[in-house]
Amino acid sequence: MFETGVSGFLSSDMRLHISLTFIITITASCGTADSRKIRGISPSYKRFYRERKSFLCIDGSKMIPFEQVNDDYCDCEDGSDEPGTSACPRGRFYCTNLSFRPHYIPSSRVNDGICDCCDASDEYNSHARCQNTCWNLGQRERAYVEGQMRTLDEGLQLKQQLIEEGVLLWREKQAQLRELQQVAEDLQIKLEEHRRKKHEAERLREQTLKALGAGDSSVRRENGSSTFNFLDSNKDGSLTVEEVQAKVALVHDEERLLSEDEAVALLGGGRLMDLTLFQHTLWDVLTKADSVKIRGSLDAAGRVVAEDLEASDGEWEATNQKKVEEAYDTVNMEISDLRKKLTIDYGPDWEFLFLNSQCYKLKVYEYTYTLCPFNQVTQRSTAGADVSLGRWGMWAGTPHNQYSQMVYESGEPCWQGGSRSTTVTLTCGTETALRSVREPSKCQYIMDFQTPVACQPVLKQRGIHSEL
Amino acid sequence: MATFTERMAPVLVLWLAVSLSGTWAVDKGNFKTCDQSSFCKRQRALKPGESPYRALLETMELTNTRLTLQLINDNNKVRLLLELYRLQGNITRVKINELKPLKLRYEVPDVLIRDPPTEPLSLLSQDENGVVLSLGAESQRVIVSARPFRLDIMEGREVLMSLNSRGLLAFEHLRMRKDTQADPEAEKKEETDPAKQAETAKEEEEKVEDGMWEETFKSHSDSKPNGPSAVSLDFSLPGVEHVYGIPEHADTLRLKTTENGDPYRLYNLDVFQYELYNPMALYGAVPVMLAHNAQRTTGIFWLNAAETWVDISSNTAGKTVFGKMLDYVQGSSETPQTDVRWISESGIIDVFIMLGPTPKDVFAQYASLTGTQAFPPLAAVGYHQCRWNYNDQEDVTSVDAGFDEHDIPYDYIWLDIEHTDGKRYFTWDPHKFASPKEMLQGLMDKKRKMVAIVDPHIKVDTNYKIHNEIRSRSFYIKNKDGGDYEGWCWPGSAGYPDFTRADMRDWWASMFAYDQYEGSMENLYTWNDMNEPSVFNGPEVTMHKDALHGAWEHRDVHNLYGFYVQMATAEGLIQRSGGVERPFVLTRAFFAGSQRYGAVWTGDNAAEWDHLKVSIPMCLSLGLVGISFCGADVGGFFKSPSTELLVRWYQTGAYQPFFRAHAHLDTPRREPWLFGPENTALIREAVRQRYTLLPYWYQQFYHAHRTGQPIMRPLWVEYPEDPATFALDDEFLIGRDLLVHPVTEEGARGVTAYLPGKDEVWFDVHTFQKHNGAQNLYIPVTISSIPVFQRGGSIIPRKIRVRRSSSCMMHDPYTLYVALNPQRTAEGELYIDDGHTFNYEKEFIHRRLSFANNLLSSVNLAPDAQFSTRSWIERIVILGASKPSKVILKTDDGQESQLEFDFDSSMSVLTLRKPGMNAGVDWNVMLQ
Repeated sequence: MFETGVSGFLSSDMRLHISLTFIITITASCGTADSRKIRGISPSYKRFYRERKSFLCIDGSKMIPFEQVNDDYCDCEDGSDEPGTSACPRGRFYCTNLSFRPHYIPSSRVNDGICDCCDASDEYNSHARCQNTCWNLGQRERAYVEGQMRTLDEGLQLKQQLIEEGVLLWREKQAQLRELQQVAEDLQIKLEEHRRKKHEAERLREQTLKALGAGDSSVRRENGSSTFNFLDSNKDGSLTVEEVQAKVALVHDEERLLSEDEAVALLGGGRLMDLTLFQHTLWDVLTKADSVKIRGSLDAAGRVVAEDLEASDGEWEATNQKKVEEAYDTVNMEISDLRKKLTIDYGPDWEFLFLNSQCYKLKVYEYTYTLCPFNQVTQRSTAGADVSLGRWGMWAGTPHNQYSQMVYESGEPCWQGGSRSTTVTLTCGTETALRSVREPSKCQYIMDFQTPVACQPVLKQRGIHSEL
Repeated sequence: MATFTERMAPVLVLWLAVSLSGTWAVDKGNFKTCDQSSFCKRQRALKPGESPYRALLETMELTNTRLTLQLINDNNKVRLLLELYRLQGNITRVKINELKPLKLRYEVPDVLIRDPPTEPLSLLSQDENGVVLSLGAESQRVIVSARPFRLDIMEGREVLMSLNSRGLLAFEHLRMRKDTQADPEAEKKEETDPAKQAETAKEEEEKVEDGMWEETFKSHSDSKPNGPSAVSLDFSLPGVEHVYGIPEHADTLRLKTTENGDPYRLYNLDVFQYELYNPMALYGAVPVMLAHNAQRTTGIFWLNAAETWVDISSNTAGKTVFGKMLDYVQGSSETPQTDVRWISESGIIDVFIMLGPTPKDVFAQYASLTGTQAFPPLAAVGYHQCRWNYNDQEDVTSVDAGFDEHDIPYDYIWLDIEHTDGKRYFTWDPHKFASPKEMLQGLMDKKRKMVAIVDPHIKVDTNYKIHNEIRSRSFYIKNKDGGDYEGWCWPGSAGYPDFTRADMRDWWASMFAYDQYEGSMENLYTWNDMNEPSVFNGPEVTMHKDALHGAWEHRDVHNLYGFYVQMATAEGLIQRSGGVERPFVLTRAFFAGSQRYGAVWTGDNAAEWDHLKVSIPMCLSLGLVGISFCGADVGGFFKSPSTELLVRWYQTGAYQPFFRAHAHLDTPRREPWLFGPENTALIREAVRQRYTLLPYWYQQFYHAHRTGQPIMRPLWVEYPEDPATFALDDEFLIGRDLLVHPVTEEGARGVTAYLPGKDEVWFDVHTFQKHNGAQNLYIPVTISSIPVFQRGGSIIPRKIRVRRSSSCMMHDPYTLYVALNPQRTAEGELYIDDGHTFNYEKEFIHRRLSFANNLLSSVNLAPDAQFSTRSWIERIVILGASKPSKVILKTDDGQESQLEFDFDSSMSVLTLRKPGMNAGVDWNVMLQ
C-alpha cells in the first residue's frame, strides 16, 4: 500500500530505488510468502518478493498485483515476475541446490521434463522423476576440489622447484652463452693467427715465385738438389721405386700410380738413383714436364718445387685452419641458437624454460602426436612419415594470463589452402604431459598440455567455494 | 589382400578428394550436353511440322474407361498403341507404346500410389478426320485428329493443351541390330530367316546413326544392346507465358526458354560444385511441369525414369514489354503460347495431364497420383545441426553442451560418413564412436535426437556382414556381363544393391531393426546420401547405363534409384518400431513420389550469396511438385561463409521447411557460437523464431500430408490472378498466412517486398505495423531483420516459450496471433497430436479458430478424433483491433469469466491476458 502511494508520484527509476528502500526498511519483518511465491529466487533477491498487494517489475517498468507473481504468465519485460515458472522468455530460475552449488538456469528449463537443478526444484510440475543429487554432487565436487587443491598445492611446489631450476637453467644457459662467446673469441684469435701466417706464407711464396719466374736461368739455378731432397722421402740420399711412385705422376693422368716398370725407367733402369744421376736425367725430365711431373703440382717442376719447399708445413697449416674455421662456425651457430632460445619468453620466472629441450608424445587412435615446446608439433601415422602441425609461434593466452595458451603455426600446407596450426592449452597438473589432441576443423589442432608450471596461485583462492 | 585394400582405400579417397577439389566451379566437361547425348541430339534435330504419325481411326476401341487407337509411322510403318484415360479429378492420361515391341519396354512401377481410378469417356462425334470425346461433365473435350496425329484438349471453345501439335512425337521402336558391329553369325541367321528378312526390309529406310548402338562419353562406353529406344512428345500451351517445376535445377522459379542453349535435363547426378542459373541436371528429378496464367493452372506429369530432356519455347519470349504492347495496339498479337517438348531415352510415353483449373486443384490432382508429403515427426521440423564430421563422441557431447550453454534450441545432431568403421554403413568407428548407445542415451536424456548417414554403396569386403549378405542373396546390381557391378565411392570399391527389387528393399528395411543395426536406438534416424547413385569412376559420376537390374537396364530405372533407397530406408525405420513411430529420412536423390518418404535437401551448395538466393526458387520448385520438406545447407556446404552470410542464411533457413546447417570437412568450424556474442545472439534469435512458429509449421505439414498443397509456396499459388506475383522468387509464403522476404544481399540496408492482395492487409510480425496489400513495400533492414508478415484475416498459433528442443515444448501453452483483415475477421487452425507416432491418424486435435463480429471461437474440426493435451491458451494477441470495454471468455461448460487485457493504441494491438482454457476444448471470447 505504502509503495503504491510512493510510486504514484515518482519517476520509474526513482520508484525502483525508493520502493526498494521501503521494502528493506519498513517491511523487513513481513512474513515469508508461500512456496509458490518464492520459487526460483535467490536469497539476495528475496527482498523484491515480499508478499504485499502489488509487485513492481525489478526493472521498474510495470506494477502488477502480487497474485500475478509466479502465476505462469509473463507480465514484466524483464521476466522478474516469473522467477519460478517458464513463462518469461528471458527469465532465470535459481536452483538453491543445498549442499551443492546454487546456480541459475534459463527459465525455459523449468518443467521441461529434464532435471537441471540437482535439488530437483526445476521440475516441480513435470513427468520427470528427478532425484535430489546435490549431496552426492557436493561430495564429488568437494572431492574434486580437494583433488584439485592437492594438485594445485603439489603443482605449485613443483612449480617452485621448476622456477628455481629455471633460474639455474637460465643462469647456466647464460653462462653457457658466455662460455661459447669466450670460445668463439679464442677461436677467432686463433683463426686470425692462422690467417696471418697464411698471409705471410703466401707473401713468401709469391716472392719465391717471382724469383723463379725471372727466367729459365733462375730455374736452372736450382740444380735439382732440393727437388731430389723432396722426392727422397726417407732422406737416405737415393731415390727408390716407391719414392718415385709416391711423388711422381703422369702429366695427363695424375691419378694413376706409376707402375714399377715406369718408375724403374724413370730411375734410369735401376732401382736406386743418387743425386748426381738425378741431376742429369730425371731432373731434366721433370723440368720439361711434358710426360711426368711432381704429383699435385699444376705447372712446371720448378714452381712445384717452389711450393714444395713449404709443402709439409703448409698442408698441416691448411687442415688446421679449416678445423678452426669449422669450430668457429659451429660455436657461432650454437651462440645464435642459444640467443634465439633465450629471446623466447619463458615466463616471468623462466619457469617454462625447462620445456625447451623436451618433447612429449601422445597416441590418439592411429596417430602419434609430438609436442616439442617452443620448437614444433608433429603428427605421425602408424604407416606414414612426420607431418608438421606447426612451428613455435607465440603465447596466445588471455590478457589475464597470456601463458595459458601457445600457438604453433605454418605447419604442412592443407589441401584447401592455408597450413596446419596447433593451439596448445596449458593446464595445471603434477606431471608434465600431453593429455589430449583434437582436430575440430581440418588442419586446426588443439592440444591439452598439463604441467605444474601452469599452476597459478590465484586458482587456489578461487577454487574454494564459500557456498559449499 | 585385405590389408592391401585397407591401405589403398584411404589413398584413393585422398586422390579423389584432391583431384575433385582442384577447382571451385563445376567441371562442365564431366557432364553431357544434349549434343553429347546421342538420343537427345537425334530427337532435337527433328523439325516441327513433319510428323509421320497418323491415327488409324478404324482401330479405335472405346470402352467405358479407356480409348485405344493405333498410330502408324508412315515412314517406317511401325505401329504404336495410344491409350487415353479420363481419370478422376480432372486428369487425362495418355499412354503411347509400341503396338508390338520386340521386347517389353519399361513402365515405371511404384511411383503411382494406386491404379488411378477412371471416369467414363464418351464419343461425341466422329468422321474420317478425327473423333471428339467428352471428358466428363465439365464441357471438356478431347479432339483426336488423324492426319497427322494430334490431340487437343478443349474447354468450351478454348484449347487448354495440344499434344503433337508441332509434330514432334517420336518413338524409336526396338529393332534388331544390323550394322557391321553385330555378330556375323546372327546376321547370317537373320538373312536366312524369311520372316526376319521382311522386317529388315521394312526398316531399310531407317538410317543408322552414330550413337544408336554404342555411345562413348569421355573414357566410358555404353554398349546399348537394345539400340535406340527414345521417346518424345511435344505439348502446346496456348495462353501460357509461365511454366514452373521439373526440378531439380539450380535456376529461377519461372522456367526459361531453352532455344538458345541446352534443354533442362532430368538425370540424377552427383554434380560437384554445381553452377547456378543453368539447366544442368542435379541430384533429383521430378518430371512434372506446371503451366499458369491468370485464368488457369495446368500440369504435365511425364512418367518416365530414364534420362530426360525438356525443351521450352515461347512465342513471347524475347519480346519486350513494349513489343507486346505494340502487338496489342496493332491488334496483330498472336495469343501468347508456350511450347514444351519432352525427350526420354527409353521406356514409354505415359503422361498425365492435370487440368486444374486452380493451382490447388493441380496439387490435389498430382497428389491423387503420387501421394502426399510424409508427415514427419514434429522434431524433424526443428533445427538440425550437421557437419562433415563430428569427429567422435566427445565432439558430439561438447557440441550438444554448446547449444545449452548458449541457450540455442536444436533437435537433431548429425553424423556424416566418418562415423562409420571404414565407410561401412550400419557400423560405428570402434575408437571414435565406441559406445554409440551411451551417446544416444545422452541425447535422449535431453530429448534430442541424432541422424547417422547410410549410403547405398556397400564396401566390397568379405569381412563386412552387409556386403556378404547382399552378395549371397545376389542383391547387387549386375554389370552388362552379369557379374556384380562395382564402382568406386567413399569406401573404395563398392557394390550397389538393386533397390528396384522389392525383396532387396525388404531385406534392407530389416537391417534397421535394433538387433541388426548395432548401436542404434529409437532416437537415431537416417540420411541417404549419394543415391543418384554416385559412382566416382562411372560416366558422369554415376552408374553405367548398361548395368542390369534383372531384366531392365540401369538406363530405364536410373532416376528411380534414389526414390527406392529412401523408400526402403523409411520402411526400415517404420518396421523397427513395429509400425508405431513415424520415420525421418533425408535423401539427396529423388523422383516423383519421393515426398512420401521424407525430406530432401538441395545437395552440395556453396557458401556464397547466390547460393543462399537460389535456395528459395529451388525449394519453391520442389514444393510445386509435391516435395514440401525441402531445405538447403545453412551456411553453404563448400567454402566458408562470412559471418554476415552465415547469419543471413540462418535467418532464411529458419523460414524454410527443412532447417539444417551443414559444412564440408575442410571448412573451419561454424557452430552458432563461434562468431562472437552479437552473432551468436542473431543466430539464436533466428532459431528461436523457428521454434516459436513450430505449431504453425507442423500444421502446414499436416495439411501438406492431407492435401498435397506445398508448404513453402510461390505467391502466385495464393494470388493466381495477379501477374505481378508470377515470377517472384525472392520471397515466398509459408502456408497462406505468412509472407517471408529474407535478406539475401550482402550489406543490405533494405529490401523491397511485394505484398499481394488488393483488399488485403499484412502485419509485420515483429512490430505489428500494418501494411496494405498490392504494393511494393520498401523495408529498411539491419543485420537482425527478417522481414516476415502475417496476412490480415489469419490466426497463427505460436509457442513462445522456446526450450532446448521441440519435445521439451510439447505441453507448453499457445499464444494466438489474430490478424484482422479490413472486414475485421480472421480464420486459422490449431492442430495437435503426439508429435511422433502414426496414432495421428486417429488421435489428434484439429480445431478451427475464427474471429468475426468481435467473437473469437474455437470449433472442433475433427469430432471423431481422440486426443487430449495439457497445452492451454496463455495469450491472445489481436492485431488491428480496437479497444473493447470488456472481454468475456466462455468455455464449453458454460462458465463465463472476464479477461484482463492490455491495449496498445499506437499499434492497435489488443493482448488478452491468460485466458487459460485448454487448447483442445470449445471456447469463445467476446470483445465488448
